[in-house]
Amino acid sequence: MKRMLSLVLTLTMLLTLAAIAPAAAEQATTYPDGTVSIYCTGQPQFLQMYFDGWLERNRDIAPNVKIEMVQVETQAAGRQKISMDYLAGAYDDMPDAIYSDAVGIVDLASAGLLVDETEYYQAQASLFVDGAANDATIQGKVWGLPDSVRPQLLFYNAAIFEQYGIDPATMSTMEGYLEAGRQLKEKSNSEVYLSYVDPTTYTWRYWGRRGLMPQANARIWDEEGNVVIGSDEGAKLALTFLDTLNTEGLLYKTTMMSPPLYEATDNGQIATFYIGAFWDEFLRANLTATAGQWRAMSAPVFSEVGTAGAPVSNFLCVVNNGTNEYAGLIEKMWYDFHTDNESRKAWVNEMVEIGGAYSNPITLEMLADPFWQETAAFYGDTSFRKAEGDGLNNPSKNMTVTISDAEADTIISAEIEKYVAGEQTMEEAIANMDTELKNRIGQTQIP
Amino acid sequence: MVKTLKKYKWPYLFICPYFILFLCFQLVPTVWTGVISFAEWDGLRQLKWVGLSNYAMMLKDYMFVDALRNTALYWVATAVGVLLCSMLIANMLHSKKLGAKRFFKTVTFLPYVCASVAMGLIFKMLFEENAGLINEIILSLGGQRIPWLTSSRWDRIPVIILHVWRLTPWYTLIVLSGLLNISPEYYEAATVDGANAFQQFFSITLPMLGNILFFCFVTVTVDSWKIFNESYVLAGPGSSNMSLFQLLYTSAFSTFKMGYASALGVVLILILLLISVVQFMVRRKQGEI
Repeated sequence: MKRMLSLVLTLTMLLTLAAIAPAAAEQATTYPDGTVSIYCTGQPQFLQMYFDGWLERNRDIAPNVKIEMVQVETQAAGRQKISMDYLAGAYDDMPDAIYSDAVGIVDLASAGLLVDETEYYQAQASLFVDGAANDATIQGKVWGLPDSVRPQLLFYNAAIFEQYGIDPATMSTMEGYLEAGRQLKEKSNSEVYLSYVDPTTYTWRYWGRRGLMPQANARIWDEEGNVVIGSDEGAKLALTFLDTLNTEGLLYKTTMMSPPLYEATDNGQIATFYIGAFWDEFLRANLTATAGQWRAMSAPVFSEVGTAGAPVSNFLCVVNNGTNEYAGLIEKMWYDFHTDNESRKAWVNEMVEIGGAYSNPITLEMLADPFWQETAAFYGDTSFRKAEGDGLNNPSKNMTVTISDAEADTIISAEIEKYVAGEQTMEEAIANMDTELKNRIGQTQIP
Repeated sequence: MVKTLKKYKWPYLFICPYFILFLCFQLVPTVWTGVISFAEWDGLRQLKWVGLSNYAMMLKDYMFVDALRNTALYWVATAVGVLLCSMLIANMLHSKKLGAKRFFKTVTFLPYVCASVAMGLIFKMLFEENAGLINEIILSLGGQRIPWLTSSRWDRIPVIILHVWRLTPWYTLIVLSGLLNISPEYYEAATVDGANAFQQFFSITLPMLGNILFFCFVTVTVDSWKIFNESYVLAGPGSSNMSLFQLLYTSAFSTFKMGYASALGVVLILILLLISVVQFMVRRKQGEI
């Protein structure tokens, strides 16, 4: 009996040890002292606040690790820094990760500068909204972990529409949007503009590539990579619509994200913004006189196409900087950011208080939380978060991104800028961009 | 050769650090620029030899034509503006009638020590079409708003003004040092002979400053062909006020066409060499150097 009891006890101990061992081994994985460097556009200081808190909560695995969110002016600037460091062999100077869009991912992944996240992401994919990693997937491989998927929206000043007796619901279509602009112009004696137009590259970026072009199913390249922007019906629809808004004097000409734009908006001269959901943080941070008057709705649709704006996705990409010793830590940080609902909510509340930037979650469980439907005083006690979620219904397909798109953007934008300056008609601009793309790029590779 | 090296080993040793740096950071990169100007390369993938196609591309690229024309305009306008302004200000600072000279000298030099990008951003606000101070002044005088930065007709003017404003202090100092080296006896003798201030300026000051002004012209030329910050910050529509250096930067680091950017660099070097050679030949013909 005693022998039997001893045997059972020994077996129990061995089984317990076997069960504990992997967990103990996992706990023992600590990351070396140092700094995790991450490149990010926009206002990364707010994101850093979340990750600093996360590191404090996880000192057992990263006792002396710091995080540094490095602000880069544009994603191209981030790519440039990484490329230059790589070229110079300065692998220590390369960041550990970069927040990037599809254009950047195509470029960096094809040069072997990103870590393949296919295996890691596929294990988590069921937690996320459908197609979250689509724009980071090239020939079946996932090169970036989805961070945000933000829709194209229509922000409008409800007080202006009320003052002039125009129903904002008419702006659910592009035709209605144009008509609203005409009425605003007429009823306000040309004091109120429907929206803005920027004389620099922002017009192509926000009205074109991320706005009207995907909504109109426009193409720069065909399936073989030939330039078709000059003959494409979608491109014609998108750019002609912008032309109509501009030539009818419905757009206030000023530089984006600059004091004159905010001043004109706060003075009630600009009634709407047709732009990505990211614009929320700029409105909240820069408008005071019109706070409470703003509302957000899904982007108007072209009746010929019927989809409501292409979402802009952003991805956290782990950089292949030799031996990226923090790759695992970055994956853990990313995972918790998208699954730890309570920490995320606490951070968002902090952002609301300080006027910081944040975006809606992209995991199914978080999205089910009523927190993401809450109202905000800036939006007159309506819910911007709900509008952002609704904006993802009926999305347009993003334009195909190729390795030549960074250069194509420069060429197309130059023609749009000359058009905005009044130096050529839109027809001439379309013809010129077609010619220049053919001259300078010719044919591209479709990934 | 070895004998000479042995004989002058100490002088050679003393100038060695400069030449090592020159070799590593100027000569080798310049040669390498020339090499990759014959290739298609984005800095990351395999380099592909394409012969003269980067140079051929320049002939088809309207941005290159714009950039070349703009840079030539910046050069002429800046050279004239800077030399005139620095002559004027240096003469005023040199005048015996001016009080508080130290104060004025300090104030004059301030634009040069300000960061050019920061000043560019301030100029951008000043020349803003709807809310800029310059247009407000024009409006108060009964004029119309001018699209300084949004029209290719006007957008080079703010760039030129900013560049002249930034460079003038440095050249004022150089001209002032030249003025201080002119012996007062020339002016005394001219006064005795009955020459007025105007005649003294053209007959004494200007000829005596000849070499100084030539040096200023050569360096302003190099500075103007290298103009970047001003036109980058005060960018107009498309490439309408883009400089050659800016196009080079955009080609290399925005669209990652290193081969094309290198070809632009080679052209820039050749233009500067040509201008410098012509300038020196003219001065030599005049018997000044």
